[in-house]
Amino acid sequence: MTFSEKMLKIDRRIIFLMIGLCTLLPLLYPVGLPIKTSSEVRGVYDHIESLPEGSVFLLSIDFDPASKPELYPQAIALLRHAFKKNLHVITMTLWVSGTGMADQLVTQVAKEMGKENGTDYTFLGWSPGGQAVIINMGQDLYSAYPSDYRGKPTKELPILEGVRSLKDVGYMVSLGAGRPGVEEWYVFGKDKYKFEMGGGCTGVMAPGLYPLLRSGQINGLIGGLRGAAEYENLIGQKGKAVAGMDAQSATHLAIIALVIMCNLFYFSLRQQKG
Amino acid sequence: MPLEMIVGAWVATGLTLLIFSFLYKDNPLFKLAEHLYVGVSVGYVIVKTYDTVIVHLVVKPIVENGEIALLIPVAIGMLMLTRYVPKAAWMSRYAFAFIVGMGAGLAIPRTVSSFILKQVEDTIRPLLSMTGSDGVTFSMNLLNPASHLNAIIIFIGVSSVLFYFFFSIEHSGVGKAVARTGILFLMISFGAGFGYTVMARMSLLIGRLTDLIEFSDTSYGRPTVWLSLLTVGALFLLARRGREQPPDIH
Repeated sequence: MTFSEKMLKIDRRIIFLMIGLCTLLPLLYPVGLPIKTSSEVRGVYDHIESLPEGSVFLLSIDFDPASKPELYPQAIALLRHAFKKNLHVITMTLWVSGTGMADQLVTQVAKEMGKENGTDYTFLGWSPGGQAVIINMGQDLYSAYPSDYRGKPTKELPILEGVRSLKDVGYMVSLGAGRPGVEEWYVFGKDKYKFEMGGGCTGVMAPGLYPLLRSGQINGLIGGLRGAAEYENLIGQKGKAVAGMDAQSATHLAIIALVIMCNLFYFSLRQQKG
Repeated sequence: MPLEMIVGAWVATGLTLLIFSFLYKDNPLFKLAEHLYVGVSVGYVIVKTYDTVIVHLVVKPIVENGEIALLIPVAIGMLMLTRYVPKAAWMSRYAFAFIVGMGAGLAIPRTVSSFILKQVEDTIRPLLSMTGSDGVTFSMNLLNPASHLNAIIIFIGVSSVLFYFFFSIEHSGVGKAVARTGILFLMISFGAGFGYTVMARMSLLIGRLTDLIEFSDTSYGRPTVWLSLLTVGALFLLARRGREQPPDIH
C-alpha cells in the first residue's frame, strides 16, 4: 500500500481528534485574531442605533437549544444593544421547543441591564400557528397574545401602551434556525404590514437569505457565530461569540488543509495507477 | 453557586460526553443520550403545547371570560381526531379542507409576491439603473454588491441556471455553453452553502467545548474532568466486553 493509499484510508477518528484539538486549543489559549465587521451585520446595528429612545423593538427568538451555540450569542448582543438604547423591547418565540430557553435568555440579559419586566421589556412566550400568529399580530397583537409568558394580561402591560399591532413596531429582528423564521416574518409580516426588519440565522441558512438582503427585503443579516462576534464587537461587549472566533478560524484552516491534502493524495494515486 | 446550576452543569456535561462518545464508535452510552434527548424534547413540547393551547387559549377564555365562539375552532380541531374512528374518518376531511384551503390562500399570493416577483424585480432593476437621465453609467466594483458589474453577473447566473433546468431542448452548441455556465454558478452556490455548513457545524462544536471548559471549574465540582474519566472508563469496559463475547452468528 502506497503512502497516498494509506492517507486516503486514514482512520477517521484521527481527523476527529485533529479537529477537536484545533477547536480546543484556541479556546484555551486565545490569540485574538481581528474581526472585520461586514455590511450586513452593520445594517442591523445601524438601524437599532438610529432608533429614538422608547421605540418599539420586537425580537422573535425563533430557535431552540439545538441552535443555541450560534443564535444565543446573537440574541444576547441584540438585547444588550436594545436595552442600552432604552428601547421598548418585546420578545416572543414561534418555536414551542425554545420557550423556556428564550425566557431564560431575556430574563438574564434584562437583569444584567437593570430592566424591569412589563415596563422596559416583555416576553410574550409562544403561541400556536407559526405564520398565522404573525398575521394575527399584524391585525391585533392582543388577540394573538392575550397574556404574556407569566400569564399577565397583555392589555395591562405598560410597555405595550400604544402598541396595537405589528404596524406600531419600530424595528423587528427574527433570529431563526428554520421554519417559521426570518422568511415567514418577511412574507407574512413585513411585506404585509410594512415595518422595517432584519434577520439573524444559523450559518447553514445564511446563503439562502442573502437574496432577501440584496433586494432590500431585509435591511441586515447576522449569520451564525461569526455574525454574533461581529455584533459583539460593534456594541463593545465581547462575549462567547468573539471568544469562539479563534477556534473557528483554526478549524477552517485545518479543514482547508485536509481538503487540499485529500485532493493531492487522490491525484497522486490516480497518476500512480496510470 | 445555586444547586440547580451545579446539577444542570453535571447533566449537560454528562450528556455532551455521551453524545461525543459516538466519535469513537457507536455504543450504548450514545444511544442512551440519544433516546433521552428525543424523549425529553417530545415530553417538553407536549407539556408546553397542552399548557399554552388547551389551558391558556381554550379552557381559560371559555370558562373565565365566556368566549363561546372559541368552541368553533375547537370543534374543527376535534374533527381531526375522527381519523382514528374508521366509520367517522370522513369527517376529518372537513378539518383538513379548512387547513389546506386557508393555508394555500394565505401562502400562495404572499410567497409569489415575496420570492418570485420581488426577486425578479431585483434581478432586472439594477440593469435598468445603468441608463439614467445623465446617459449610460457603469460601476465596475466587484466588492460592492450594488455595482452594475455584479448586477450583470447575477443576471447571467439566473438566466444560465434557469436554462440548465430547461430540458425541452437539447443542450448542444450555444445551449451547451449556457448550460455549462449554469453548472458553474450552481457549483459556486453549492460551495458557498457547504462552506457555511462547515462554519455552522464548527460553531456547534465550539459551543459545546466552551461549556465543557466552563464546567471544568471548581465552582461546579469539575464535572468535565470526572465525567470524562468516567466516560472513557465506560468505553474501555464496553470495548473489552465486546472483545470477550463471541460474535452473534444469527
